[in-house]
Amino acid sequence: MTESNLTVAVIDPSRARAAILEEGLRAAGIGRIVVIPDTADLLERITALKPDVVVIHLESPSRDILEQMSGVSRQVERPVAMFVDRSDTTMMQAAVDAGISAYVVDGLRAERIKSILDIAILRFNAFARLQRELSEARGELADRKLIERAKGILMNLKGLTEDEAYKQLRRKAMNEKRKIADIARAIVTTADLLG
Amino acid sequence: MRLQLGYIPLCDAAPLIAAHEFGFARSEGLDLDLSAEPSWATLRDRLALGHLDGAHMLAPLALASRLALSGPPSDLVVPLQLSANGNAITVSRGLWAAMEPESEALADVARAFARVATERRDAGRPLTLGTVHPFSCHSYQLRLFAEAGGLDSTAFRTVVVPPQHSVEALARGLVDGYCAGAPWNDVAVAAGHGRIAAFGCDLAPDAPEKVLALSARLDGTTLPLIRAVARAGQWCSDPANRADLIHRLAHRNYLNLDAELIGRAFAGDAILDSGGATRPVPGHLDLGASVQTPRPEAARWLMAQMRASRQIARDDRLETEAAAIYRPDLYQAALAL
Repeated sequence: MTESNLTVAVIDPSRARAAILEEGLRAAGIGRIVVIPDTADLLERITALKPDVVVIHLESPSRDILEQMSGVSRQVERPVAMFVDRSDTTMMQAAVDAGISAYVVDGLRAERIKSILDIAILRFNAFARLQRELSEARGELADRKLIERAKGILMNLKGLTEDEAYKQLRRKAMNEKRKIADIARAIVTTADLLG
Repeated sequence: MRLQLGYIPLCDAAPLIAAHEFGFARSEGLDLDLSAEPSWATLRDRLALGHLDGAHMLAPLALASRLALSGPPSDLVVPLQLSANGNAITVSRGLWAAMEPESEALADVARAFARVATERRDAGRPLTLGTVHPFSCHSYQLRLFAEAGGLDSTAFRTVVVPPQHSVEALARGLVDGYCAGAPWNDVAVAAGHGRIAAFGCDLAPDAPEKVLALSARLDGTTLPLIRAVARAGQWCSDPANRADLIHRLAHRNYLNLDAELIGRAFAGDAILDSGGATRPVPGHLDLGASVQTPRPEAARWLMAQMRASRQIARDDRLETEAAAIYRPDLYQAALAL
């Protein structure tokens, strides 16, 4: 793909997500990618940049600003339009599911914007997956720490070995059909309150 | 039955929020999932693509969405008007000082604005005013404000400023004023950045402001949902429930603002500046039964406003289609049961 003459603006309240998209577009050979922060002076910045395509995350309140830059406005020299390919609702659904909307300068061919949108969808979905995995990993780590503390409390209080303390936790969890981490949290909270 | 409804955090989303919070939906066997959407464009797209079953929507945007003037193709219908009025035009303290109107009367304020706007245009530094979306009563009220002072609305720049950014944009001088819905004018006044110059209800009395837009896919839940939101809206308009309503709207889950500021939208007297000047605004933000019937004449009025703002050309077929999006029959059927 040779898109070295295109300028793509990326607007996203999440800097990390914007960076991931920027890298993906760069790898695809897009000439110029500019990440614009989602602030009150957005319109001025876009007007100055004159991008061919604006990829904006659906979380951004600034989407309504781009709507103004469409054909109904007299103030913009290069009107942009929301990229809606009515023949391709699957694409539209995929973009919205991934949290993306794209605005293109009038006249840019649909297949060119499609390749950009494809990259954006892949990258944003990958980012969402990463975030999910990260929060799961954080949760697991926090659970492990809780269980360690609860074991320590039981060992001190009842003079148990580490293995016995863990077995008690597990038995209680199985009897009450709850997670070991939930039992551990209850023990830690109680100990905090009483200690 | 679980339904997904979208709204933008504003005082006139109250009927949807009250339907969920005060049991009106539950008594119809409905469970509402309310989602605060970040922008009107995103709300419109999510409704058109079926992520939302219904939404609190700018009345002109609902028509524009259904008529394919804005966003992806949609099948929405409008069975209920949520509110009339509620908007105001706030100007920066600097602009108000330059205007020096002879009185608070709309004609005097609009003339003073026209004078300053003309001076600024002639000096090559035109005023910039914010609206919330191209297809909004706010855009039309700015135009009417200009016309009330004998000014062509091309004499100043109009830019879209999301309500969340409006107070900051005014404070940083990016706009000289804006038209927004409650509570955003009161927020600027309380922060000392702006002065309320005119109310939407002065410019276009009883303008159809927000509607309930529903996907045509809903089937069996359409009437119970209309009934729940209609009854909630009527509850909201009863002064006896005001304190409960304001307290709930102020909550972190909804507007996440000071209850005192939200209360200003429902008060009979409006506070105009940080010095505490007030004036009575009897027609400000109406959520009651009297505004709920979606009248096809309101749709025609909105289409006329779109034409006057040069968003559409004259097209009789489009106007007939627009009037058919409004469904008073559904509203009546819902309340007759």
